[in-house]
Amino acid sequence: MFIPGVIALWAAFAALCASTFCYIQSIRGRESARDQARQFYGLAVFGVVAASAMLLYLILTHKFGIHYVFSYSDRSLPFRYLFSTLWAGQEGSFLLWLFWGMLIGLALIRYARHYEDRTLVIYNLTLASLLLILLRQSPFRALNGLPPGQLPFDGQGLNPLLQNPWMTIHPPIMFLGYAATAVPFAFAVAALWGRRYDEWVRASLPWALVTVVTLGCAILLGGYWAYVTLGWGGYWGWDPVENSSLVPWIASAALVHGMLLQRARGRFRKLNFALAMLAYGLVVYATFLTRSGVLADFSVHSFVDLGITGWLVANLAVFFLIGIGALAWRWREIPAQAGDEPLLSRTVFFVLAIATLLGTAAMVLLGTSAPLITRLAAQPSQVSAAFYNRVTLPVGILFAALLGVVPFLHWRGTQDAFRKRLLASLSVAALLTVGGVAVGATGILYTAFLFVSLFVFVSNLIKTAEEVQKKRFRSAGGYLAHVGLGLMLAGIITSSAYDRSEKVVLPLGEAKQVMGYTLTFKGVDKPTPTAREAMLVEVTEPGGRTYVARPKMFRNEKSNQLVANPDVHVRLTHDVYVAPIEFDPGREPEDAGAVELGKGETATAGPYKITFAGFDMSGAHGDGQSISLGVKLDVAFGGAMQQVMPMLVSGANGFDSRPVTLPGPAGASVSVAGVDAGSGRVRLALGGIGGGGVARRASLHKGETLTYRGTTLTFDDFDLSDFDPQAGKIHIGAVFKVAGAAGSSGEITALYKNDGGGETHEDAAIPGLDGVKLRIGRMNANEKTVEVLVLDANAQPDAGEKMRFSLDLTVKPMIGLLWVGLVVLLCGGLMAVVRRGGEFAGAVAATAAAAGK
Amino acid sequence: MRQRTLWSVVGIAVIAGFVAFGAGAFKSNLTPYVSFEKARASASAVQVAGKLVEHSDRFDEANSQLVFTLENDHGQQLAVTYKGPKPGNFNEAIQVVAIGRFHDGALEAEKLLVKCPSKYQGVEEKAYTSRSS
Repeated sequence: MFIPGVIALWAAFAALCASTFCYIQSIRGRESARDQARQFYGLAVFGVVAASAMLLYLILTHKFGIHYVFSYSDRSLPFRYLFSTLWAGQEGSFLLWLFWGMLIGLALIRYARHYEDRTLVIYNLTLASLLLILLRQSPFRALNGLPPGQLPFDGQGLNPLLQNPWMTIHPPIMFLGYAATAVPFAFAVAALWGRRYDEWVRASLPWALVTVVTLGCAILLGGYWAYVTLGWGGYWGWDPVENSSLVPWIASAALVHGMLLQRARGRFRKLNFALAMLAYGLVVYATFLTRSGVLADFSVHSFVDLGITGWLVANLAVFFLIGIGALAWRWREIPAQAGDEPLLSRTVFFVLAIATLLGTAAMVLLGTSAPLITRLAAQPSQVSAAFYNRVTLPVGILFAALLGVVPFLHWRGTQDAFRKRLLASLSVAALLTVGGVAVGATGILYTAFLFVSLFVFVSNLIKTAEEVQKKRFRSAGGYLAHVGLGLMLAGIITSSAYDRSEKVVLPLGEAKQVMGYTLTFKGVDKPTPTAREAMLVEVTEPGGRTYVARPKMFRNEKSNQLVANPDVHVRLTHDVYVAPIEFDPGREPEDAGAVELGKGETATAGPYKITFAGFDMSGAHGDGQSISLGVKLDVAFGGAMQQVMPMLVSGANGFDSRPVTLPGPAGASVSVAGVDAGSGRVRLALGGIGGGGVARRASLHKGETLTYRGTTLTFDDFDLSDFDPQAGKIHIGAVFKVAGAAGSSGEITALYKNDGGGETHEDAAIPGLDGVKLRIGRMNANEKTVEVLVLDANAQPDAGEKMRFSLDLTVKPMIGLLWVGLVVLLCGGLMAVVRRGGEFAGAVAATAAAAGK
Repeated sequence: MRQRTLWSVVGIAVIAGFVAFGAGAFKSNLTPYVSFEKARASASAVQVAGKLVEHSDRFDEANSQLVFTLENDHGQQLAVTYKGPKPGNFNEAIQVVAIGRFHDGALEAEKLLVKCPSKYQGVEEKAYTSRSS
């Protein structure tokens, strides 16, 4: 337990309680208590900021005695990922949420005016609920189970998937959005409490917009991250954790539109109260779903029950009761206006859009809660992604159709030239859709979705252009946001309904044709020992352009987790997405046997007599930049004598061996396998001389037998008499009993040697079989087996097995629309935040000036 | 008031229709946790859990898929295929959850959930989806 941190959190909690108490005093008429309340709030902010700073300090200084630091960081992390460790875990992310909440509260105090006392009482309650979770599940608790006085030297490290720039900024933006949802909620309850049913809308509209922009941005980042790192080909998987940011986002968007409606028409007060309660309630519910472990069997994300489920349920109950209770309490008092609105009016369309948004949110919520709902009746079950796709498609079409008409409507009717502009938008959208169908769009619902998305895009674009033309830049933000939304919806449908995908296995160097693309696996790239292995795949596109895709596939050493990152190649009209599936390293060809020679010595290998004549250290055969060592060999073949010189040449990764071809059989070659500088001996590898085909390969337990050409070999035992790893001698022998066909018998021993300079084999000749040798390959200590290779001079030379790489190639048409659309949507949203925030600040200044006179 | 009544009727009809549609889609897309026998008999997507039989996993290159066998607590076995990359920690998993449809002697998994033992974290989870959506 890190005591100062815990003290800071408790102090913040106490100060928050004191602040709330003083605000209650102030409500009861003791105006002076308000200043005290503000001071206590400031103290609470200080406590939370101090706690965050302390946790950051513990992470940066590698205090692995703290559970949180140990679990999510290690010494190898660069500074930026150490910083993001602050919010990588459960506790840290609650702290981040609280941190934003505290800062937002400071702004609230400044701007809430006569709502301040009541708003802050409720708002403090939302903050206190987070603080209680942190006190229950402290980020400062010590690592359990350690021997006294000992600290781990290193931590477990950050999940390699999270070591990504997008993932470092995703949580801060996300939790800013979560934190901002508490503001409209607090205002709504305060408004009901204080019986002021209208002004709260103006004050909390900027905050609702902040939620829409930040949550939208966080969803964008999360989706983009999933797309470029996870390699399953998509950006959205309808996972509970994804849904739990989507549903509050939709609800907040509904709230924003409800508020605009109330401001313009002075109606729909009850709707907005309910929406504000709902938006925050959904955040609390989503937190419960994703943090309590109730979905542990159903989610991608590794949230497990850490003992706070009870608190989360209590939170849920408290805030639902507060919201519904406050609304029920004042329901009859809230002024309501009766009166008809024309059907073709912005008012009616807004109501309908809000209804479809809520319908979508309800469906997604239903799907996400499926394990909880079904648990009541039977075994918990979840719904497949098909459910979400099926229900959101028709609702999305309806929604987009509404959005395309709205720009040309007044609050109470149609704008000038309504029909003309509507028709223009519809025909442009239809033209674009026809173009889409021409290049392959199919399916009635999909095409309809594409059409209405383009309709939203075009009609809002027209309206944005009109606003800009009239120099009304401030009101262009809302339309611009919908231009982005239209693009986004179009991108979603083109990239997910019309994508094409195929899996292919690529042996090294062999070109294969897939969907018009030519793919060739060129090998594994690992420039430094710590670099992550990238698979080099040369891709030739149907148009003839060529690039090298570099999907990654590596094992994270800390967690021993296999990580696969796709390669995404962005083209104007589509993305080419190469995702790794499986890598098979293959097997080197079994050489005919290595030959070891001292200077002047001669050995016979196959048809050759090879004599080691000496080293060539002149470096004359190198390129002048690298060091090279030549091995001069005199080779006698068929009566002729020839000198050849295989070389070792220094390169970026150590020495490369440069083989030379030998005269005679095609493919015969010799290369330097090792040099012992001390004794002046060389080890030569001979390839392709036809003397070493593998005739039989088997894995044997003790006592098991292998029969080859009538001779029976029985694996008797390992011989470890010369096994001394401390002296650097790893010599393992395997003893075999041999029973010949003619009744002869005997015992042979094959040896495996590794003296630190590489592996060598000493093969044992099999008595009674001319030219047949026995070699031992891989040994498995756990299974107590040995791999046995029978080498026969008459067998075909062993070609080995090529490396293979299996991948999934996907072409995603127009996915760029999605990202561009989201960015445009967020820019428009940001303009709206600035506008509405400015309006509100202006109103505050105006009242202050009026009060001053 | 006539408009209001009309709106209410249309609204309720639309909502009712939508609820019915949603409920239908919900029911037909549920993937319940079932036993191996039920998984074999079921025509719809289900969810099964079991232990990976050691060394049973291999990569079937012809069909470009991962093939492995799960064993439940009663010692029954079920073959599973999965068209996607082998999940990290797959061989260390204490439990594998496969979601998919039984077809041609094996459960064709659309999604795998892998549970791994972790000393300090309790149980960690990772899930993998073979298809985009």
